[in-house]
Amino acid sequence: MPEAPSLRPSTRQFTDRDIERRQRFVDLQPDDLQRLAAIKELVTQNVEPFTAAFFDYLSKLEEAAPLFGNRAVLDQAKQLKREHLIAMVGGNYGRAYVEQRLKLALLYSTVGLETRLFLGAFHHLLRTIGLEIVRQLRSDPERATQSFMSLEKIGFFDLGVIVDVLIDERERVIGLQQEAIRELSTPTLQIRDRLLILPIIGVLDSQRAKQLTDSLLHAIRSNRAKVVVMDITGVAAVDSKVANHLIQTVAAARLMGASVIVTGLSAEVAQSLVALGVDLSKLNTVGDLQGGLEEAELLLGYKVQRVSRTESV
Amino acid sequence: MPVPILKQGNTLIVSVQAALTDRDLIDLKNDLAEKVGQFRSRGVIIDVSLLDVMDSFATRTLRGIAQTTKLRGAETVIVGIQPDVAFAMVQLGLALEGVATALDLDEGMELLAARLEKGDDRVG
Repeated sequence: MPEAPSLRPSTRQFTDRDIERRQRFVDLQPDDLQRLAAIKELVTQNVEPFTAAFFDYLSKLEEAAPLFGNRAVLDQAKQLKREHLIAMVGGNYGRAYVEQRLKLALLYSTVGLETRLFLGAFHHLLRTIGLEIVRQLRSDPERATQSFMSLEKIGFFDLGVIVDVLIDERERVIGLQQEAIRELSTPTLQIRDRLLILPIIGVLDSQRAKQLTDSLLHAIRSNRAKVVVMDITGVAAVDSKVANHLIQTVAAARLMGASVIVTGLSAEVAQSLVALGVDLSKLNTVGDLQGGLEEAELLLGYKVQRVSRTESV
Repeated sequence: MPVPILKQGNTLIVSVQAALTDRDLIDLKNDLAEKVGQFRSRGVIIDVSLLDVMDSFATRTLRGIAQTTKLRGAETVIVGIQPDVAFAMVQLGLALEGVATALDLDEGMELLAARLEKGDDRVG
């Protein structure tokens, strides 16, 4: 049997004040606690069928397959769900309760259960419990409704926590990916003695521009470069901010005695920069990489000549 | 602490050894202005590779030196600005515009030689 994946602690920290505020958001009142206490027995007795209702509902949806693929995870989820149900009517919704929610939410996000699926199943669970409440309190419909509404408040309190955790997880993954892209994407290549090319691909934000300038400056020193061709064909958008980054990079390279040729400004980019009123007169720009290399070779005193080979023509 | 100024042919070489006070900088400027005339130098190279900080006063003085020596007939090249220093200077808006720069002493000599040979008086 595969091991259940070990759970990372959530990055989100809940303080007592947070929890109190969250209880306020769903308007949890002393009355609600009383009503919940009244249906405590009903829920605890039916923990098994309720848990089953939640997981059966999910099992019918193919998108939930990842949860059912791993027995250990499923067992753990079921166990946590049982504890959840009992705690929902336990009358104590402090930090311990929230920690329990975090654990389950992290489990869901670890197996990749999507938020919308979880919401559907959770709604089904509340509905199942609601129907049971209505059935048992048939004699007093008003009390049944009120009890259910109190339970619903707890339900939404839980949702608030769980959705936050799922979103946090997703953001964490996005952050990791951005980091990976950043590390991948700033090679500085020497193509001739004293000539570097720096192809820039992707989005150029402040942080990346800084990193890029930094690595370029160090490359200039270690390669003793005199000319750098910076190609921005692959930069998704060039606005005044990006243009300023470029100007700064060029100025810094010049301080180290290297001249920079910027290439790859497309027709649209050139027009939008002019429309924005960005002053690029300090930049030495050439239309494409080929032109840039030719210009650089000229600066360095190279002369590229085609060797005539009659047999290959 | 006075900064030594070395004469090498028609070039004056200044190697800045430690962080300079504002006073030292002004002395250096006066010394250079004097010596360029005295030795009839055609070029000045200031090596700042040992500096890990360059503030606005130092930048301004270096530019002042370049302009002064120019008036006295010598081209100034600043060499050896460290990557981190270059980056910090640009971020502070101290780009040393109009002053020639080079990677190191070797490069600076070469640049000066090329300029003098061509008789090219353009700076930057």
